Amino acid sequence: MNRKLVTILSALLLCLTYSVSFAAETIKIGALYPMSGRGGLYGQDSEAAIKIAVEEVNAKGLPGGKKLEVKVIDDQSKPAYAVTVAKRYITEDKVNFLMGVVSSAVALAVTEVSKEYKTIFVGTDHGATDLTANAFQKYYFRVNNNTYQSMMAGAMYLKEMGGSKKIAFIGPDYAYGRDQLAELKYGFKKLGVKADFVGEFWPKLYEPDYTSYITAIIAAKPDILVSGFWGGDTVAFIKQAKAYGLFKKMKYAHFDAGGNYELFSALGDDCPEGLILGSKHHNNWPDTKENKQFVAKFHKATGRYPSYAAQGAYVGILFIAEAVKKVGNAENTEALVKAMEGMKLKMPEDPAGFTSFIDPATHQMVQTESIGITEKNSKYPPAKYMLGKFKDYPADKIMPDQEYIDLLKKTKK
Amino acid sequence: MSIETIISQFVGGLSVSMLLFLVASGLTLIFGVAKVFNFAHGSFYLLGAYFSYQAIALFNNFWAGVIAATIGAGLIGMLLEICFIRKIRGRSEEGAFQILLTYAFILIIDDAVKFIWGPEYKTIQKPPSLAGTLEIGAVSLPKYNLFIIVLGIVIVIVAWYILSRTKTGKIIQAASTDSQMVGLLGVNVSMVMSLVFGVATAMGGLAGAMAAPLRTVTSGSGVEVIIESLIVVVIGGLGNFWGALLGAVLIGEVNAFGVLWLPQWASLLSFVVMIVVLIFKPKGLLSNEPTRKKI
Repeated sequence: MNRKLVTILSALLLCLTYSVSFAAETIKIGALYPMSGRGGLYGQDSEAAIKIAVEEVNAKGLPGGKKLEVKVIDDQSKPAYAVTVAKRYITEDKVNFLMGVVSSAVALAVTEVSKEYKTIFVGTDHGATDLTANAFQKYYFRVNNNTYQSMMAGAMYLKEMGGSKKIAFIGPDYAYGRDQLAELKYGFKKLGVKADFVGEFWPKLYEPDYTSYITAIIAAKPDILVSGFWGGDTVAFIKQAKAYGLFKKMKYAHFDAGGNYELFSALGDDCPEGLILGSKHHNNWPDTKENKQFVAKFHKATGRYPSYAAQGAYVGILFIAEAVKKVGNAENTEALVKAMEGMKLKMPEDPAGFTSFIDPATHQMVQTESIGITEKNSKYPPAKYMLGKFKDYPADKIMPDQEYIDLLKKTKK
Repeated sequence: MSIETIISQFVGGLSVSMLLFLVASGLTLIFGVAKVFNFAHGSFYLLGAYFSYQAIALFNNFWAGVIAATIGAGLIGMLLEICFIRKIRGRSEEGAFQILLTYAFILIIDDAVKFIWGPEYKTIQKPPSLAGTLEIGAVSLPKYNLFIIVLGIVIVIVAWYILSRTKTGKIIQAASTDSQMVGLLGVNVSMVMSLVFGVATAMGGLAGAMAAPLRTVTSGSGVEVIIESLIVVVIGGLGNFWGALLGAVLIGEVNAFGVLWLPQWASLLSFVVMIVVLIFKPKGLLSNEPTRKKI
C-alpha cells in the first residue's frame, strides 16, 4: 500500500474514533445504540427518551447529590465494534453502567464484556430470549420483553381466536426470525393448540422486495400468516402484500414488532384494517396516566410520537436510578445487582393495577403483553391507523418456563 | 403447482428484475465508460426516493415526484462527478481513492437524508390510476408492478436506440473502449463522463422513486440495494449494459421460483448463481474476454 493511501486511511480512522468525556463526580452510564443506517431511528428515539428520563431523575435528586450522566455512542449494529466501545466505556471512561443495544447479536457480545468486567449492563431493546436464559450472566438485566413473551402471548391470542390453524410463517433469516417461530411452536404445544404449518419463508433481513414471497404465500393458502419481521421490513411487506390482496385472503398476525408506531406512521392510509399486532410499547395503550405522560413528554421534546424503542431506554434510566437510590451509591456493583433482583418498576406500558418487576432468577422484566387489531385512528399523526380492541396477557403466564430455558441450554450452548 | 401460481410468480419476479435493472444498469454504465466503481450508486436510489417524497409533499402529484427524483439524482450525480471524481482521475492510486471517495458519499448522503428529512420511515402512495389490481382469470397482478415492467422495457428500448443508433451513443461506446483515443479525435471526454454519470445516477433516482410506494423509504436502504445490484452486474459482466439486463432478469426469476420451490434456501440462490457464473465465466455472462469493454 502506498504512503498516501496509508495517510488517508489513518486520517479516516482518526475521524471515526469517538471522543467521549464525562464530567467528574457523576454517575456515568455508557449507552450503545445504532445511530446510523436502518436502526438509526431506534437509536435516536432512545437518546431522546434518555434525555427525558435523566432530567426527571436529576430533578428529583440522587444519593450524595450526584447527577446521572449518559453518553450515547453509535454501536453501528456491529458486535465487534460494540465490544470495543463497551470496553472503552469501562476502562477509559470508568462508567458505572452499560445500557441500550437494539440488535440481539450486539447484546450477546456486550453481555460478555459486562460479565468479564463485572459491570452492570441494562438491556433496553433487544429481544433474544437467550440473554435471560442460556446466555444469562448475573450482571445483565433486561427491562424490555423478550421474543418468548411476545410469541407466548401470540400463541394465547391465536388459541382464543379459535378456528382452524393452517399457518404460514415469514420472518427474517437469522436468529430473531427463527427464534420467534420456534417459540410460537413451543407455545402451541404448551397450550395444546393443534396447528398445521403450510409454509415457512425466510427472506434475508432488509430484503427490499417481497413480491415473490407474497405470491408463494398466497399459493400456500394458509388461514393465518404469522410474521416475524423487524423494523422497516414490515412496512415494505405490508405495502407489497396489500397490492396482491393478501390481507383479504388470510389473517395477518405479527406479535413482537408488528404493532410498532413507526409502522403506522410510515404506512399512513396504506395500513390494512384488521391486522393482529403486538409491540413492546403502544402509544395509545394502556390508557393510564403514566403512559399518556410519557408519550406527551416525548412528543413535546421531539415533535413526533415515539417508536417502541423510546420506552425501553426511558425505563432503563429509571431502573438504574432506582437501584442507585436503594443502595445509596453507584460503586457497589454486587449490592446493586442484589437491589435490582426482584425490583419493581412502574413502566408506561404497565396496565392499571400492575407493576413490572425483575425476575430474580433470569433478570428478565416480568411484564404484560398487549395485542390489538388495526383500526382507523388519526389521533397520532401522521399515522392514520392505530391498534384498538387490545387484549392484555398476564405477565406470569408468558414468562419462559424452566423447561424452555433448559431446552435452550441444551440446544444452543 | 397451478399455472396461475407460476404466472403470478414469474410476473412478480419480473417486476423485481426491472427495478434491479434500473439500478444495476447505471452502475455498470458508469463502470463501463468512466471506469469508476461507484459504491454510492445505491445512495442515488435513496435520494430518488426522498426527492420524490419531497416533491409529492409540495405538488401532491406522484409523477412530479418521479420527475424530481430522476432530475435531482442526475444533477447531484453530475455534480459529484465534476467536483470530486474527476479530480482523482488518472492518479496512480485511483482505484483505492474511488473506493474511499464513493464510500464516503454513502455515509454523507445517508446522514444528510436523516438530517433533512428525519429518521422516521417515510411513505409514498401509489398514483390512484395504478393502485388497483388486474384480475386475469385466477391470477391477480397489481397494476403498479405491471407498470414497472412496462417502464423497464421502455427504458431498455430507449437505451438500445441511444447506444446503437445515435452519435452520442456511439461516442459513449467508443469512450468505453478507449477514452484516450476518443479524446484525440476531438471529443470532450470529460463532458461525456459527466453526462454518463448524470444519466446513470438519474436512472438510480428513477428506480428509487418507482420503488418508494412499494418499499420502505429510510436511510440505509441505498446500501442494501447496491449489494443485489453488484451481484447482477457481476453475473452480467462488469461494464456491460445488456449484461445488467440479463443478470437482473436471471436474479429476479431465480429468487421468485426459489421462494416457491426451495423456500428454505431462497436467499442463498442468487449467490449460488453468482458463484456458478464466476466459475465458468469469470468476466460475466455477456463479457467478451479479455476486453471487458463492450457496452
